[in-house]
Amino acid sequence: MPACRLKWLCVLAPLVIAGCGASTPDATPGAESSSDAASTKKPRVALIMKSLANEFFSTMAAGAESHQKEHSGEYELIVNGIKDERDLSRQVALVEEMVAAGVDAIVIAPADSRALVPALRRAQDAGVVVVNIDNRLDAEVLQQEDVSIPFVGPDNQAGAKKVGDYLATKLLKGDSVAVLEGIRTSFNGTQRRLGFEAAMKNASISIVDSQSAEWEMSIANTIAAAMLSEHPEIKAILAANDSMALGAVAAVKAADRAGKVQIVGFDNISAVQQAIRDGAILATADQHGDQLAVFGIEAALKLLADPSAVAVADDVETPVDLITAESLGE
Amino acid sequence: MKKLPIPRSLLQYAGLLGVLLLLVVVFSLASRNFLRAKTFTTIANQIPDLTCVAVGMTLVLIIGGIDLSVGAVLAVSSAVLGVLMTDYQWSLEAATGLCLLTGCLCGLFNGLVSVGMRVPSFIVTLGMLEIARGGAKLLTGSQTKYIGRPIEAIGEPLAGLAVSPAFLLSVSAVVVAQFVLTRTVFGRYCLAIGSNAEAVRMSGIRVAPYSISVFVISGLLAGVAGLIQTSRLSSADPNAAVGLELPAIAACVIGGTSLMGGRGNVVNSFLGVLIIRVLQTGLAHLGTTDAMKQVITGGVIVAAVLFDAIRRCWDDAGE
Repeated sequence: MPACRLKWLCVLAPLVIAGCGASTPDATPGAESSSDAASTKKPRVALIMKSLANEFFSTMAAGAESHQKEHSGEYELIVNGIKDERDLSRQVALVEEMVAAGVDAIVIAPADSRALVPALRRAQDAGVVVVNIDNRLDAEVLQQEDVSIPFVGPDNQAGAKKVGDYLATKLLKGDSVAVLEGIRTSFNGTQRRLGFEAAMKNASISIVDSQSAEWEMSIANTIAAAMLSEHPEIKAILAANDSMALGAVAAVKAADRAGKVQIVGFDNISAVQQAIRDGAILATADQHGDQLAVFGIEAALKLLADPSAVAVADDVETPVDLITAESLGE
Repeated sequence: MKKLPIPRSLLQYAGLLGVLLLLVVVFSLASRNFLRAKTFTTIANQIPDLTCVAVGMTLVLIIGGIDLSVGAVLAVSSAVLGVLMTDYQWSLEAATGLCLLTGCLCGLFNGLVSVGMRVPSFIVTLGMLEIARGGAKLLTGSQTKYIGRPIEAIGEPLAGLAVSPAFLLSVSAVVVAQFVLTRTVFGRYCLAIGSNAEAVRMSGIRVAPYSISVFVISGLLAGVAGLIQTSRLSSADPNAAVGLELPAIAACVIGGTSLMGGRGNVVNSFLGVLIIRVLQTGLAHLGTTDAMKQVITGGVIVAAVLFDAIRRCWDDAGE
């Protein structure tokens, strides 16, 4: 046994040493570049995503990578994601690792709108430019921690309202609908729910059931099936993302109500486009996922070029478009 | 013990059915539309994937192993199916063949490494969980593959029968596995391996082929579950069935399968699956919040297991 352990040590030790060696030289020029040599050194931007297993985020990361290739003279990009969208501690660790690696800017899609704030404050204190994308950090916590981090991204509430308004044109006053929410602690989930609620209220349509399906297709399928049998009067299901919308499609079909219950989603993932063409889903919202990280990176580069702007950095709103069978047909 | 095998198992069925009935009564009283035929056919069409996985899990637990990779194997099998049918336009039959083969191969790997190399199956299948999940994401490029019509027949209710072929398939898996377990040499050896593998070896029976076969069966059934879930959702989702191993293990343990091996019953595991799914559907009918759903589900699992433990103590004292 001891011999066995020694062998492992022999294998691992050089790797560890090599790892340390690789990160130290990088860290020093990185720190310099933020002070005076910014124009001569390419800035290093770290993109920290939620789960790269999720199509939405992998598309976002791919968009950022191709943008970097086109602008390879202007900046370097390091993309990292977490395995599970709920793995907060890993994302906090990633922020710390990127700061330690001496990056100049962090563009982050926080897995939680509150828990990430302290780590990002420490990053800012270390002189790193931080830009928030996708999931907006909680204003109250930002205030408590006394930091300001610009948010670059779409207005999810307005996007969800667009989808809801379009759905309302296909329904009648007084109809009943149900909502499949995202994870309740996520800011986007809440914003989309509020957008759906506002649209339904304007059209005098009542929401008879609203539950979280944790963004997942299979859970959404189970919950939507229960909603349909508990509330047979439901005329439509509003899902806060497309995976849940696809789960609802299967539930509606299983309940023999295909065509009688309208379904809307959010995100415009590729799988849902086929469902929209087939008429199984009425509409979704496209927030240009492939461009979201790019918008964030551009904002970060602007701030790096003009450090005096960091303190007063404003939020940037990016577009959200309604996707229907007609718009796909074009 | 030898004298009373039948009454004992009957008693256990009755206990689990009692819990199930209690849940149905509670939800029927508490919600408006729970007590309807439609609710139960819906549940019937939603349980086949978990049922298949739980059958495999029961067998693995019986031989004293554990298979944590079932959810991930389900996802990778489903990914194979989805990619072949959408990107390569394979027929359903051919793609299904490869989907099931994927499940078998994952199970074979689990079996060969854990049994052949005598590494605890906990860690081998944990490794397989990561490999298979990563494989599913690689194959699909982390994108949900929408297949649509060609795959839907398996998950759709049969005309005039209200239940789907998938449901019938999963129930026959339960029946066959229970028969194999109680009425065949293979099943007897599995139980014996789980109670005392050394004794089995001493009596001149080679343990490895039986144990490895059980892991292959578990992999195959995870592949079948992948086919079933893909069919029900018309799409192959690389994130499908994350954490499915937990309800599967819970279903087995609720059904009285021992985590130490040597004791288990497939029909009881099926009742365990029913308890878990009825609970899930009932809570969705009530529109309970997420947090409460988790608290209640956990509570019922513990209560069901406690109930079984008390009954067993009482049984043993009576003898």
